[in-house]
Amino acid sequence: MKSADRGILSEHDLKKTSNRVVYGIMVFFILLMIFSMLYPILMTMFNGLKSNVEVNSFPPHFFPQEWHFANLKDALDYIDLPMFLRNTLYIFAGNMVATLVVLGLAAFSISRMNVPYRKVFYFFFLMTLFIPATSYMIPNFVNLKELGLLNQYAAFWLPAGANTFFFLLLKNFFDGIHPEILEAARIDGASEPRSFFTIAVPLSIPIFATLAIFIFSTAWNDWFWPSLVMHSEDKYTLATAIYKYVINVKALNTNIKFAILFLVSLPPILVFLIFQKFIMRGVSLSAVKG
Amino acid sequence: MNQSAALHDHLPAELESKPYKQNRWKKNFWGFMFLIPALIIFIMFMWVPIFKGFLYSFYTVDFVKGNTFVGMDNYARALTDPDVLIAVKNTLYYMLLCMVIGFWVPIAFAIAISELRKFGGFVRVAAYLPYVMPAVVLYGLWRWLYDPVGPINAVIGSTGAEQIAFLTDTRWSMISLVFMETWQQFGSGMLIYLAAVLSIPRDWYEAAEIDGAGVWARIRHITLPSLRNLILLMLILQVIATSQGYQSQMALLDGGPNNATLTYALLIVKYAFTRLDYGTATALGMLMFVVLGGLGIVQFKLNKEDN
Repeated sequence: MKSADRGILSEHDLKKTSNRVVYGIMVFFILLMIFSMLYPILMTMFNGLKSNVEVNSFPPHFFPQEWHFANLKDALDYIDLPMFLRNTLYIFAGNMVATLVVLGLAAFSISRMNVPYRKVFYFFFLMTLFIPATSYMIPNFVNLKELGLLNQYAAFWLPAGANTFFFLLLKNFFDGIHPEILEAARIDGASEPRSFFTIAVPLSIPIFATLAIFIFSTAWNDWFWPSLVMHSEDKYTLATAIYKYVINVKALNTNIKFAILFLVSLPPILVFLIFQKFIMRGVSLSAVKG
Repeated sequence: MNQSAALHDHLPAELESKPYKQNRWKKNFWGFMFLIPALIIFIMFMWVPIFKGFLYSFYTVDFVKGNTFVGMDNYARALTDPDVLIAVKNTLYYMLLCMVIGFWVPIAFAIAISELRKFGGFVRVAAYLPYVMPAVVLYGLWRWLYDPVGPINAVIGSTGAEQIAFLTDTRWSMISLVFMETWQQFGSGMLIYLAAVLSIPRDWYEAAEIDGAGVWARIRHITLPSLRNLILLMLILQVIATSQGYQSQMALLDGGPNNATLTYALLIVKYAFTRLDYGTATALGMLMFVVLGGLGIVQFKLNKEDN
């Protein structure tokens, strides 16, 4: 049957002029959309390579008239990107470990270990989803302050283990592992921690990879919360440092500003382009998170 | 453990000798041990803040002198502050704009892109790309795009129309923010819708076409009804998210010009970190919880139906 390679429109529809016009308009809007997506991103790159006079000229040029690659060096002189990068990666790595150990173990226990009262525990974790995050943002900050965690990486690492959304993703994934595999390990005398780390974790690489992408993008993007929790400059994350020292600074030349913005957006764009198939599959999962 | 009798032959000798009850306890021992870290972390960093939020809304929070109980004072202050009324109005306006400007865009593009015969992969990547860019880069970029001497005004200027002060004009500032956010975020929603559009059986369209249904009729009576649950879910997610929005309002305009982009969540942040009045900020958070709490439950129910 031919039905597999048709969409809403069939070949026959496209022979009608009115449908062709509609289809043409549709393609036009898609092209317009692509242009509006790519133009600002490419502009960030090109603006970072122009002279400051050219960036501020009106109307703006697309390609630089002269290429100023020295801007990238000036950018690195202006702001200590490697240090902020290191801080960001610290937070990413610690959050990843906390997610794997704390949430992984709990999800495994609820999903595959038949603990008594597991419905109660499950509900205990799940309940937090119904409370809008902003409504306890301030007490959360006060709580961290009272625990003496401000300005410490632990203020990110420990709460990373309290992510209900990631817990649900892990539990759903573990639910799909065949219980026979784990049962066989138990019969062979493997302890529970051992079957978790040597059987469940290796089987769950796909879900941990998806979580790694979520955690990476949070660590890379979040500027507001780190700016509250960290108050010494040498602990800022990249996004916080950019917000504090680049976005709201008037004295900085626009071309250098764009060179910095370009350098910061390059890694996530590359990660995305390399892992795109994988990431786009993960997007549908984020529908639960909102 | 019904199979245990059948498996009896294969059990190692050491397990065989232990009484059944002890085995069971041992099994549950690890089950509970695995839960304990998460229980502690959830209590410390979720339930304690939530509980403190309730508690501190009746206190004046002072980190140096200690907290003092003030009864309903924080609530009274919150409800009589004229800024709160402005913030609620702005938040509702923001939610409305996100609906009008942003909500339908991913649906429309998902349907359109599903009809592309070629280059579908490239279009998806391009649409999703802005979503990958860090928010701070976005703020720097769009401040320049919206600038009186930026590219958008260059286009407007070349048509001879009057230039627009996108960010500093109170009539435009919120619209500009919503437009920026739509630009960034629609790709992610589009991919979710696209997966749903592509999962609709093609035969349905075939059958409808044979019965004489036109293109619009097929979209109206097949595509959109198939997406109904997803659209409803995304709508609730958007309402939950936009009712708490404050980051771009804060980063680009700090609630200005003239409080035009001061949203409710931003006011909470300002109460806490500009006025250092944590008590009133928590009280405002509690009020938000009361209003929004129900929505989360609706979302959960829909999610379950969807699965």
